[in-house]
Amino acid sequence: MKSHLIVVPAYDEEEHIAGVLDDIRENNPSADILVVNDGSTDKTSELSKLKGVMVLDIPLNIGYGGAVQTGFRFATEFGYEFVVTLDADAQHDPSSLKNLVSVMEREGADIVIGSRFLEGTYQMALLRKAGIWLFSVIARLYTGLTFTDPTSGFQLFNRKVFSYLSEGDNYPLDYPDVNIIMALHKKKFKVREAPVRMVEKPNGKSMHAGLRPLVYVARMFLAILMVLLRKED
Amino acid sequence: MSLGMRIVIFITGTFLFLTILELVRKKKFREELSLVWLLVGFGIILASIADFVIDPLAFRLGISYPPALVFMVLFLLLVVVVLYFSVVVSDLKGRNKELSQKMALMEFRLNTLQKKD
Repeated sequence: MKSHLIVVPAYDEEEHIAGVLDDIRENNPSADILVVNDGSTDKTSELSKLKGVMVLDIPLNIGYGGAVQTGFRFATEFGYEFVVTLDADAQHDPSSLKNLVSVMEREGADIVIGSRFLEGTYQMALLRKAGIWLFSVIARLYTGLTFTDPTSGFQLFNRKVFSYLSEGDNYPLDYPDVNIIMALHKKKFKVREAPVRMVEKPNGKSMHAGLRPLVYVARMFLAILMVLLRKED
Repeated sequence: MSLGMRIVIFITGTFLFLTILELVRKKKFREELSLVWLLVGFGIILASIADFVIDPLAFRLGISYPPALVFMVLFLLLVVVVLYFSVVVSDLKGRNKELSQKMALMEFRLNTLQKKD
């Protein structure tokens, strides 16, 4: 068993999963790869198994956060030292993982968030940009640190953090965002960010598309409020 | 309250109460979850005959049409019921997640063991 586990949560990603797994393996041969199939209705699981990686099949679609947390549980049970989360839609460039690792080593961070805005030019819709900016400001006010891309799913965790997040409701079922950064900061974990390369989603489909942004922002505000209100246990 | 109104409320309450009892008897409705609905049914039945409470109370609250008070109380009761069930659904969602995650992890362990044999 290796010390790094790359967790790839996937829901109906048969189009991209094989390419993503090839890409990860090519760039990070020293890490184990775990696909967490979040109740896909297509061939995501079969295609992943054909690639020879480990696959967890969740019988229902429990949501992105729930799938990532399953990966944390796996890593905790099987004794991994570090977990990297990487999306299955070919948006994250696995070669950037070394940036996350070097920031973790250099700054002694417990969790490093990959930001697409620290380097290069990433194009996205204005509304989404505004949302990210808003949550960055909130994160800065609370933590005193700048997080340019709090919605990023490309992250590196050490064992202290992922074993904490693997428990009960410590990780949200839907989309972890600035609320998790704030919750981890509150728990005195050292959160940092590092530049990563991301490409726009190849099929142009986003989980933040349609009428959802407004609901998403409202839910995130509620999640942030809860982080502020909850007492430390 | 008019006799007609009284009869309608009484029949509605009795019908609801008996329907819930029947659902519980047929095991289509869990006892612990049905209690809150039985309470609503009982409340409706009471409302049809409890003039001695409703009328003076409505008068005190400045409600000139006492049945309006009945509907208001029933509405509040229903809000409580819906809230209760939302909490139950929330709890179930959490348990569902736990169960699915554990199942996925166990299935992985089982497959690994089978491959070793």
